[in-house]
Amino acid sequence: MKLFFEIIAWTVFSVVVGLLSVWPRYAPVDEGNAIITVTFAHAAQRVGECRILTQEELNKLPPNMRKPADCPRERHVVRFELHSGDDVLYEDVLVPSGIWSDGKANIYQRILVPAGRHDVFVGMNDSGGESGFDYETRASVDVTPGRNVVVRFDSEAQQFTVR
Amino acid sequence: MIERIHSFGRGIFELLRRPLSRAFESEQNPLNYLGALTIYFCWIVLISGIWLLIFFRTSVSSAFESVEYLTREQWYLGGVMRSLHRYASDALIITILLHVIKEFVFNRYRLNRWFNWVTGIPLVWIIFPLGITGYWLVWDELAQYVAINTAELLDRIPIFTNSMAGNFMSDELLSDRFFTLMAFLHLIGLPIFLVFGIWLHVFRLNGPRINPPRRMMAAATLAMLVLSAIYPAISHDKADLAMAPQVLRFDWFYLHAYPLIQSWSPGWVWVLLVGISVLLTIAPWAPPARKTTVAVVDLDNCNGCKRCVDDCPFGAVEMVPRTDGSNYSHEASVDTDLCISCGICVGACPTATPFRTKSDLIPGIDLPNQTAADIRQDIIEQTEQPASEPRVMVFGCRDDRQTKAMRRAGGNVVTVRCMAHLQPSYLDFVLSRDHAESILLLGCEDGNCNYRLGAEWTEARINRERDPLLRKRTDSTKIAMGWLAPWSDFKDPAKKLAAFRDALAQEEGEA
Repeated sequence: MKLFFEIIAWTVFSVVVGLLSVWPRYAPVDEGNAIITVTFAHAAQRVGECRILTQEELNKLPPNMRKPADCPRERHVVRFELHSGDDVLYEDVLVPSGIWSDGKANIYQRILVPAGRHDVFVGMNDSGGESGFDYETRASVDVTPGRNVVVRFDSEAQQFTVR
Repeated sequence: MIERIHSFGRGIFELLRRPLSRAFESEQNPLNYLGALTIYFCWIVLISGIWLLIFFRTSVSSAFESVEYLTREQWYLGGVMRSLHRYASDALIITILLHVIKEFVFNRYRLNRWFNWVTGIPLVWIIFPLGITGYWLVWDELAQYVAINTAELLDRIPIFTNSMAGNFMSDELLSDRFFTLMAFLHLIGLPIFLVFGIWLHVFRLNGPRINPPRRMMAAATLAMLVLSAIYPAISHDKADLAMAPQVLRFDWFYLHAYPLIQSWSPGWVWVLLVGISVLLTIAPWAPPARKTTVAVVDLDNCNGCKRCVDDCPFGAVEMVPRTDGSNYSHEASVDTDLCISCGICVGACPTATPFRTKSDLIPGIDLPNQTAADIRQDIIEQTEQPASEPRVMVFGCRDDRQTKAMRRAGGNVVTVRCMAHLQPSYLDFVLSRDHAESILLLGCEDGNCNYRLGAEWTEARINRERDPLLRKRTDSTKIAMGWLAPWSDFKDPAKKLAAFRDALAQEEGEA
């Protein structure tokens, strides 16, 4: 009799292990939805102009510190907006990284959208302007359910890609 | 307040313990071997993992295919090994959870036990990443989900300049090096920390139970094998970074916090995980437990025999060079930080015998708040109480539920700290001096000794396998150990006593 109960106990244990390792099912994305992921790192423009040093000024500096231009380290914040048609899907003001705010501004954001055709507008301002964008991209994307559309900034081409 | 929480927790734990104590003898009850079972499941994971490693390829393009080969082409061995690897990993989460709950509700995490409790917390922080990186390596849709969400979680730590999650947006961005890193963590890095962590977790214990009984190991292996055969672990579709995984067969043992990363935020998940860990870490001192009176060595009676050192479950007694000029080379010394006053050292001391008449009953080592002489006095007083025939002297452990229940019901019980607090000569004393005709040792239920080794040492001493032995003249059939069959079948201590009396009467009748 003990053996019978022992078998039952181990069976129950196995069933709990087997069950909770696959069930209940989990749907990270609701049916009929898709994802637009915005991810890039971008160094905004510096807050001030670089000043070219005169030869006299350079001569006063130690030889190993004679950089021809004196540039402020701090960079502007990056203003970013993502639209689908007239809807603003996401907007953010990204702060430059680093103690001196001289690094790249990073963004990684997942936005859940309904599947279907989306007229996407991506805009970014990195020069400190309160309005308007320094970079803009428009794309019409057919988003199937479950698709992951990625918005990136191509730093070489200086434009956004929507794929 | 904390006692109420423990008491409530014990009530909940009882719901699980009761049916299991019907199914298992105490020495086979998995609830008495939760730590050892966890380690055993780790062994299954290790051995099955070695087989998987032989065939696994650590690259983005072929990781999935190599696991598929194991699962489908080599289903008879590789598939079984994969399932064993998966299910044993899941099973050990259950045993860890129950282990933590049990130690908490039975108040076995405070005083000198804080070290084992606190060193267990990093083990959890190692085991979860081990499981998570394991899912990652399969590189199916679940792996994709785990990879992206883990990266989002790690991105929240303000030490990374670029987003790690951004690397999982297209197949072109993902390199084999990332897989090599994950494989290194899963196969070498984390397991090394795990082995060291387990050693740290148990090294202060005397005789830690590293392995469960063989029969239990066989049963656990068989259970996992049957599960693997009936419901083999399989992969989802291959990861496709252009698509978001839709419906996942989710392993809730390892991934239970993951849905919160999206529904809350990675930051709040960190707050939750770190918050739970901090709460668990400070639990032994919140509030601080009252320090019990520790064992005291009496050098006039200590001959340096070392039995107390061998039997102390917590390594609280050590032998040091003699300080009193005696001819004996060593003496026992109690570490007051480690001693929790279980009295097992007193039960091991050959001088703790109640037959002593020429000198006062002062053993080589004793508990000041319940001396060996106090126990002898209790036995004598209990003898004077009216009792049913045949007369049974009942000994109970101070903190055990059964003892408390029996005392509440008006039963006469000589209470000691632990069954192993009773030196075997006390049993001889009871029977040979006619204080009773027989003895029932209630002990802790199901042999779940509050001081780890009390039930084990008591059995060994009574069975004359461990010093101090029960004297040969003592009829051990007159002694019932309540945590062993057939007495363990009776959960009510009064019924246990009645059953023992019936058995004695029947024996008498037959004689």
